Amino acid sequence: MIHLYLRPVHHSNRLGFFLVVAISLGLSACSIAPIQESAPVVAPAPAPPQPEPAPVVAPVEPAVLETQPLTPTEVVEPSIPLAGTATHSYTLGAATRSLVAQATTQRKSRNFVQAAATLERALRIEPKNPLLWIEYGQLRMDEKNFTQAESMGRKALASAIGDLRTQANAWRLIADSYKARGRNGEAQQAYERANTLSGF
Amino acid sequence: MNARLKKFLKKNKKPIFWSLGLLLLALSLWIVSLDYQVRKQFEGRRWTLPAKVYAQPFELYAGQALSIDELQRTLQRLGYTQSTQISRTGHFQRKGNRIDLVSRPFRFADEDRAQQTLSINFSNGRIDRMWNSKSEDVPVFRLDPLLIGSIYPTQGEDRIIVSTQETPALLPTALKIVEDRRFDAHIGVDPIGILRAIWVDLRSGSFDQGASTLTQQLVRSYFLTNRQTISRKLTEAVMAILLEVHFDKTDLMNAYINEINLGQEGGRAIQGFGLASQFYFGKPLAELQLHEIALLVTEVRSPTYYNPRKQPERALARRNLILDLLAEFNVVSIKEANAAKAKPLGLVNATASHSTYYPAFLDFVRRTLRRDYQEADLTEAGLVVFSTLDPLVQAKAEAALVSELDRLDKNTKRKDVELEGAAVVTAPTNGEVLAIVGGRNVSYSGFNRALDAKRSIGSLAKPVVYLTAIESGDYHAASVINDMPVAIKLAAGTEWVPQNYDKNVYGPVPMVRALAQSLNLATVNLSQDVGLPKIAAKFKQLGLTEQPRAVPSIALGSVTAAPLEVAQIYNSIANGGFRTPLRAVRAVVDNQGNTLKAFPLEVTQVVEPTAMYQLQRMMIEVMRRGTGASARAQLGDLVVAGKSGTSSDYRDSWFAGFSGSHSVVVWLGYDDNQSTRFSGSTGALPIWTKIMAGINTISWDQPLPEGLHEVQIEFTTGLAVNDQCTEMILSIAVPNDADIPWREDCKPTDSNLAERTKQWLHGIIGQ
Repeated sequence: MIHLYLRPVHHSNRLGFFLVVAISLGLSACSIAPIQESAPVVAPAPAPPQPEPAPVVAPVEPAVLETQPLTPTEVVEPSIPLAGTATHSYTLGAATRSLVAQATTQRKSRNFVQAAATLERALRIEPKNPLLWIEYGQLRMDEKNFTQAESMGRKALASAIGDLRTQANAWRLIADSYKARGRNGEAQQAYERANTLSGF
Repeated sequence: MNARLKKFLKKNKKPIFWSLGLLLLALSLWIVSLDYQVRKQFEGRRWTLPAKVYAQPFELYAGQALSIDELQRTLQRLGYTQSTQISRTGHFQRKGNRIDLVSRPFRFADEDRAQQTLSINFSNGRIDRMWNSKSEDVPVFRLDPLLIGSIYPTQGEDRIIVSTQETPALLPTALKIVEDRRFDAHIGVDPIGILRAIWVDLRSGSFDQGASTLTQQLVRSYFLTNRQTISRKLTEAVMAILLEVHFDKTDLMNAYINEINLGQEGGRAIQGFGLASQFYFGKPLAELQLHEIALLVTEVRSPTYYNPRKQPERALARRNLILDLLAEFNVVSIKEANAAKAKPLGLVNATASHSTYYPAFLDFVRRTLRRDYQEADLTEAGLVVFSTLDPLVQAKAEAALVSELDRLDKNTKRKDVELEGAAVVTAPTNGEVLAIVGGRNVSYSGFNRALDAKRSIGSLAKPVVYLTAIESGDYHAASVINDMPVAIKLAAGTEWVPQNYDKNVYGPVPMVRALAQSLNLATVNLSQDVGLPKIAAKFKQLGLTEQPRAVPSIALGSVTAAPLEVAQIYNSIANGGFRTPLRAVRAVVDNQGNTLKAFPLEVTQVVEPTAMYQLQRMMIEVMRRGTGASARAQLGDLVVAGKSGTSSDYRDSWFAGFSGSHSVVVWLGYDDNQSTRFSGSTGALPIWTKIMAGINTISWDQPLPEGLHEVQIEFTTGLAVNDQCTEMILSIAVPNDADIPWREDCKPTDSNLAERTKQWLHGIIGQ
């Protein structure tokens, strides 16, 4: 009954993606997410103002490649082609898009129980769409259920293979949930991962 | 004579006066007490209302893979009537590639939705567009859910209350004509009717001419037992008159329609026309047609004698008699009556092979709710429960279990008892329980094996061992482990010497093969290296209620668990290592529509995603070339993953596994825990396969996670090989840094190195 009718869009430049993945693995920048127990806190860096998480309905738009200037901390070979690095770009179907819009309205009027029910309808239609898991995680943030917000972020991450922009959004959600719990070191690391991914 | 009487009266004037006075007083007190009883009962809450339980609603959306035939069947299951014009609620019409329907108004937990006209256009096996009566696009729409049952008291009354507005006008008219023609005129009792009845009874010498008015029947059902005594008759008559004094005819008719018994199913009494309509026809009372109303009126006289499911001819004869009567009294035309008489009884689930409600599933719902509610809240307060049951999946699971158990029973030696079984189907991503079968007698609400039969899980434990091994970072699918004899000293001083299923020893084998062929010795050796406490902890993380003891036999499934618990573990595996608590309830709503409790989705990551991906791929090989291979004949190209389980002496036969959208666990065994002579592959697997093949499911399909790549190895040895070299070649997913030795004679030549590199790239990109 559940049917994912929206397949991820395949972009052409696989070689480019391979190089990016290889290098990012080398940097340990976007390899495997730590599970449950997060990585030990590194030096509590003096956090510069971090980018806010993406606006709620933003992921509805197809991912557009960003060509932001790289921050100095990132060691990236300048020869990397920045165009077409993502292999997939998740979008919402008509049904889930309308349900997300409905959930957003319910969320704005702080009707969290109903918003959750609406997002779960959407998830039943597209259970593997990471955009929906990020939506659900952001709802959990509003409800101050930060642990579940993080879990939803990790669920999004697990299905956002090849979609760097969505991975970045998932990391921002995870970072926000750390920050809200006062786990600043982990939050910092997660934001950095998000920024690295956005950088591509 | 007259003088003597006068003298007697004069002499005993005082005592007679007092006696008469006392009698009058007693009579008054009696009437006052009856009056109090009648008013109290009627003015307070008239009925205790069992919680109503709904299945999950069927969602329709643009782009959905659904054929027009499937939608038609779905609507018919929901009791929608097919017609040529669709002006009425609950009707639909099919024209070419299009279905038009008028949905029923329904109060969902999160939305109070009015009746709506919806048009659905199909193309190439999909819904391509939906629109409403104003031609506006409707991207998503849920149909009103199927009512699957109620939480009524044990041996108790179940009912659905209907208002006068929800009652078709024909019903009270028919009731009056058949049961009480002077209802609108009499005062609760009908002296003319009584005299007529006595006359008829005297002449025939029997007591079959009923003279009770509807009001008296109501009183009898309401306050009194069914014993035929003079005093009861008198009380009944007085109470009937009192009711008429206090309440008007419309109220009394409505009370009658909601009160009267119209059937029985096990310990469940079907009270009132609202529930009877669902019970017999699977749709709301308001939507009943003439022949259906006539059948319900038939049941008033005796739901046992005229039981339409057991005595269809008898019920049909009386139904048609009633239709004639309605024509005779000009309620309907002769033509209408004849058309209705030509129709079959039209019962829902008339095949009797399926239950009309789901005791094992409702049992789980009830246990879920007991944590938050008192029994009385559930059976009396009129709560509405939105459950996760998928009626179609439930029906397929029931049918598969029953038919396969019947077949397997013929191959057993035991003739004294029947094989038993249980099945649980869940949706991995949200943990919703779609179906529960608690035994082969699917409509019997007795021992619920799915929840309560704690049995040894056998080799179903093996994926947990291999998962723990992969997570340690020291193992992958091609890692060679030793299938060698082993003797382990137990704490008690004894030795445990496990054996393979076929008593053979296979020597060094890759992990993927050890799991696929369910090799015990290899698994025990592996578990000793990985560490028993880690394995025990993994069971708990995946969702086993209590962490099992870290004993050596844990690797071979000495763990005991009920099918539902196994379903929790396998749901976590199917969901990529995210545990989500299994739920049967989405929300509980009070009878005003306020949500009292919601059970939202919760996920917890308990396994590293790449480790889980590797295990899932290994479990697919179980289905391709291992103990699950016999499923392929029925499943064709459907990609599924699974594992068989057999406990010692063949006491338990298990199969658990998943597709892209469903996780299914099947158990089979005897209630007395004797040997079944079936392994997981010969007993539970055919049932599992039949369920998977019967439901609308999709292939397992996960993109390769970053950090893994595809490698081709030889199944028997685990050595890397190229395409041309061996028949026993398979593709596995291993970490990028995994170092897999080549089979010497199968190394890639320079010419195909480029090809292999391309494939490797192909793999890492997630094809």
